Amino acid sequence: MSASTLRAVKRRQSGLAAEKRRFVLGVTIPTLIYEALGVLTIGWALALMFFEYSSGRAGGPILGLGGSNPFVGLEHFRNMIVGTSLEARLFRTSLKNTLIFAFGVLPLNLAITLPLAALIESVRSRLKIAFRAIYFLPVVTAGVGVAMMWGYIFDPQYGLANAVVRLLGATPIAWLSDPRATFLGLSIGMWAVIVTRLWSDYGYNLVIFIAALQGIPDQLQEAAIIDGANAWQCFWKVTVPLLQPTLLFVCVMTMLDAFQVFDIIQVMTQGGPNYQTRVLMLDIYENAFRYQRMGWAAAVGFVLAILVMGITVVQMRLLRTEWEY
Amino acid sequence: MATLTRTYQSTRKGNPLDKVRYGLKGYLVHFLLIVGLALTLMPFVWMILASFKVATEIMRVPPTFWPENPTLNNYQTILQDPKLPLGRFYLNSAFVAVANVCTSLFTSSLLGYLFAKYEFRGKRLFFGWFMLGMMIPGTLTMIPGYLILAKVGLLNTLWALIVFSAVNAFGLFMLRQFIETLPNELLDAARIDGASEWQVYLRVVLPQLGPALATLGTLTFMSNWNAYLWPMVVITKVERRTLPVILTWYNSQHSSRPNITMAATVMVVVPILVVYFFFQRWIVQGFTMSGLK
Repeated sequence: MSASTLRAVKRRQSGLAAEKRRFVLGVTIPTLIYEALGVLTIGWALALMFFEYSSGRAGGPILGLGGSNPFVGLEHFRNMIVGTSLEARLFRTSLKNTLIFAFGVLPLNLAITLPLAALIESVRSRLKIAFRAIYFLPVVTAGVGVAMMWGYIFDPQYGLANAVVRLLGATPIAWLSDPRATFLGLSIGMWAVIVTRLWSDYGYNLVIFIAALQGIPDQLQEAAIIDGANAWQCFWKVTVPLLQPTLLFVCVMTMLDAFQVFDIIQVMTQGGPNYQTRVLMLDIYENAFRYQRMGWAAAVGFVLAILVMGITVVQMRLLRTEWEY
Repeated sequence: MATLTRTYQSTRKGNPLDKVRYGLKGYLVHFLLIVGLALTLMPFVWMILASFKVATEIMRVPPTFWPENPTLNNYQTILQDPKLPLGRFYLNSAFVAVANVCTSLFTSSLLGYLFAKYEFRGKRLFFGWFMLGMMIPGTLTMIPGYLILAKVGLLNTLWALIVFSAVNAFGLFMLRQFIETLPNELLDAARIDGASEWQVYLRVVLPQLGPALATLGTLTFMSNWNAYLWPMVVITKVERRTLPVILTWYNSQHSSRPNITMAATVMVVVPILVVYFFFQRWIVQGFTMSGLK
């Protein structure tokens, strides 16, 4: 290669590098400017929870903090733990209900989706696709639509639920408004929203379990059956252990979503009866946008965010185990 | 060899799994699955049937199952309600959803390409920021988001539902994963032929992303179409609202007439079910691979 061609190639290469650099800058600089909005949002969120803030008051010069929106330090958090005001008590009720809801939904969801996925996986493939498609329908339905449908099902007079109850010869139940009715220690209203959530949500985990089951080679189950295991043993001793990483993923996703439940509760019960279904998201929404207690709401939002992010981090830790088969 | 063994095993009569699949247990399995199917479809059926019932029938206790005198009146009532310009709300929802699909497809593919195929200073930090953004839940950013929109006067406009979602971290991750599998030789060949970096992105990378973009697009569309909390917070003017918010508002006006509210619910829910039937494969696949809901 002559010296002149070599020079030409070099020139071309450095031209290419410059061109690439220009492209990188051309993309990153507008993105960085846009992401400044994100930094502002998060920074503001973190600042708000130390103030008594309402968007109705002008407040201080920087983001309206200070002045008539006074700094209160950790007062909100102290209040959450030991406060006796209505908002503090409602926060504790909401936290309790959120945990009840999440820990109620999770085991029931798994008890439905895992066996169902195994059943679907065991039928012929064309049917399998049809089953999967229909079982997934509730997942794509708007949460508000789900809440409307189930609100009507649980209607004390005209609803389907009570039609079934009457058919069985029992007294109709005010599913969404009776504060005294309980079942297995949980209020009936909580059960109603848990059932609604299960219906709207289980198709998602089902599809994930089906995909995971398809990833397990047939030979493993065949080997177990040849060795004399029945279908039941085969499921518990071979399939379930191999599903462990998927199970973990599904548990975490279900928990995350359950912690942030809002649509169905806001539409079906508004947190009632008697605050029995009031959850953290509803508490945040009402405090921030109905009562203009934005500092307090930001503090509650922070608690919920910590819960949610805590679960995510634990998941990442646990998922690091590699599985092979 | 492995495939050979497998074919042999699954075609031969004595496959031990066949007993589970096609034996007497098979009937039980199918029976259980059909019961589950009925329970899944029942709320939809109940809603649709109610939307065809006349006012006197819907008030009957115990309720009827099949409508005795099926009628389209409920739908007519909704469509002719002067306080409810439905076309307007469909347009609002469609505008927001389409705008967000366009921006997130563009930014996700561009940034996905950047993170997949370029080396630059601060790349890891930049990427980590997006990862953090994905982990921070909406509970934290909702209030300052509202305050920012109030400051710049975008409350009560449809832009309020668009400005914060220009970069979709989930989409970015998904497309980066996808673009990483494209061979570098392909991109370099285009460069040698004189393509600029933007042309490489537009003419070489984008055309390869068809299925991934379809998946991301349908997921984005559906999550925007179904969104409730954020649109309710930032838009309080009735005529600017999106469908889910208008549905609950309408419900509060007609709460004692389930035949009307169920017809309204049908009109909100059904378009997305139609989209779902056309893009079923992509949607189910997209949900499972992104962890998005």
